[in-house]
Amino acid sequence: MARLVVLGGGVSGHTAATFAAKWLGSAHEVVVVTPNSQWNWIPSNIWVGVGDMSKQDVVFDLAPVYRKGNITYKQAKAVSLNPEGKEGADTPFVTIEYTGQGKEGQTEEVTYDYVINATGPKLNFAATPGLGDANGLGEYTVSVCTADHAVHASHELDRCIEKMQKGERQKFLIGTGHGMCTCQGAAFEYAFNIESKLRKAGVREMADIKWISNEAFLGDFGMGGLHMKVNGYVVSSKLFAESLYTERNVDWIIGAHVNKVEKGKAHYELLDGTMGEEEFDFAMLIPPFAGVGLKAYGKDGSDITDQLFAPNGLMKVDADYTPKPYSEWTASDWPRTYQSPAYKNIFAVGIAFNPPHLISKPAKSPNGTPINPTPPRTGMPAGITGKAVAHSVCDLITKGEGVQLHEASMAEMGAACVASAGRGLLTGTAAAMTVYPVVPDFDRFPGTGRDTDYTFGEIGLAGHWIKQVLHYLFIYKAKLKTGWTLIPE
Amino acid sequence: MEKKVVPEELNFQNNDKMNLTMIPSRYARFMRTCVIWQFIRFVVLNIKMLIVVRKSH
Repeated sequence: MARLVVLGGGVSGHTAATFAAKWLGSAHEVVVVTPNSQWNWIPSNIWVGVGDMSKQDVVFDLAPVYRKGNITYKQAKAVSLNPEGKEGADTPFVTIEYTGQGKEGQTEEVTYDYVINATGPKLNFAATPGLGDANGLGEYTVSVCTADHAVHASHELDRCIEKMQKGERQKFLIGTGHGMCTCQGAAFEYAFNIESKLRKAGVREMADIKWISNEAFLGDFGMGGLHMKVNGYVVSSKLFAESLYTERNVDWIIGAHVNKVEKGKAHYELLDGTMGEEEFDFAMLIPPFAGVGLKAYGKDGSDITDQLFAPNGLMKVDADYTPKPYSEWTASDWPRTYQSPAYKNIFAVGIAFNPPHLISKPAKSPNGTPINPTPPRTGMPAGITGKAVAHSVCDLITKGEGVQLHEASMAEMGAACVASAGRGLLTGTAAAMTVYPVVPDFDRFPGTGRDTDYTFGEIGLAGHWIKQVLHYLFIYKAKLKTGWTLIPE
Repeated sequence: MEKKVVPEELNFQNNDKMNLTMIPSRYARFMRTCVIWQFIRFVVLNIKMLIVVRKSH
């Protein structure tokens, strides 16, 4: 019997573990190590953050689902990897520290034949003074990164609405809290859901809403933007993003590295090197992501973390990490199998793998501060890479080493993204977008880097319906209900 | 001369950045939430997304 250990139970880890358990059956063991007791459909957190959904609408308990899926569940966080075992024992293992199941604080060594690192990101609030610290979110801003954060954000928003109803003007600042953030899409959704919420509450005229982001232009989204066909033209997402912000009267600051947050004030540096500050009554600034801080040790106990992980804590996989200028970036730089080059029984998927470089054009201020979005790997790419790696591991276990690994390069896969701009069965709107491929390939698609027959976007009620359907569909799938394998990632 | 106010166009004057963008007309805004048109778009968008999903697996 072989044992696969999946570290992390988010979109990528949950997809990998559930498919692996189904394909392997009871002949082998799948173990999930995740510090959380509940699964969270994160894309709907923005609706929790404006009070349109409750926390219970976006989470469910993991234990019964893993029991149903024949998966061994350990509510714990992974601390370190020993890919060669330890002195006196050759079997590789993961050291975990329990966070629940009545074993809080206890450590355990979980041996493995294969391990999939799907730990997701560490929300690095501490990277920006005032945004937070090593313990997480600070006291001056709110977040929608977790369901609990979103509940807190909703309460703070309600306070602001009460003040506006009493005639007190409020300033909202939404966007990214550091020059190296990703997930601009979530902040975008939150900004426009707040705008929609304030209109419904009848206090929109009492609010100044401002967007602040590390994107070089509106509509970059960490993907260098996208070009799409509209009414006979091929146009940049910049035009549509600027149009929406203007239509909804949301002012914007772009190319900004937020370098300090105080009570009611954010300080930032712009791409032109100038410094500025923005006052706020309510701010939601996404933190940058980092690896969760897994360590790795050799058989003799020596620290080999740098062999498996990049300095940012994300795991090195089969990507081309050779530093090179933007003009020399190619689609083939991106990983295909997500296998660690150091240890062939270790894989990393979703946000946990280290991308070879940015997707957006790199940019620095004259002061040397990098201000550019890092590549998004959430959602569809996270699910697809999780499933591909699960397939590879199952083949390795059942057919033996030497099998062809399954491939899922972000330079060859597309992604569908639905960004809510306000909820409502007949009044809601969302931008429904697809890009193909996620990473532009200028050799295959000279000009835009993408296939404009499959890269499109439009805003409307249909997009909202799709986002609402996806909410129910993916929670249904994650609960392993009848026919779950038929729902694509 | 009679003053002609087009509400959808007022945000152009908010600042220079907004002045250089495009703003949807009343017709475009109506179509965004027109249930019949949006139902058609819902079907079309789902088909287009499924094609991209299929190409990605």
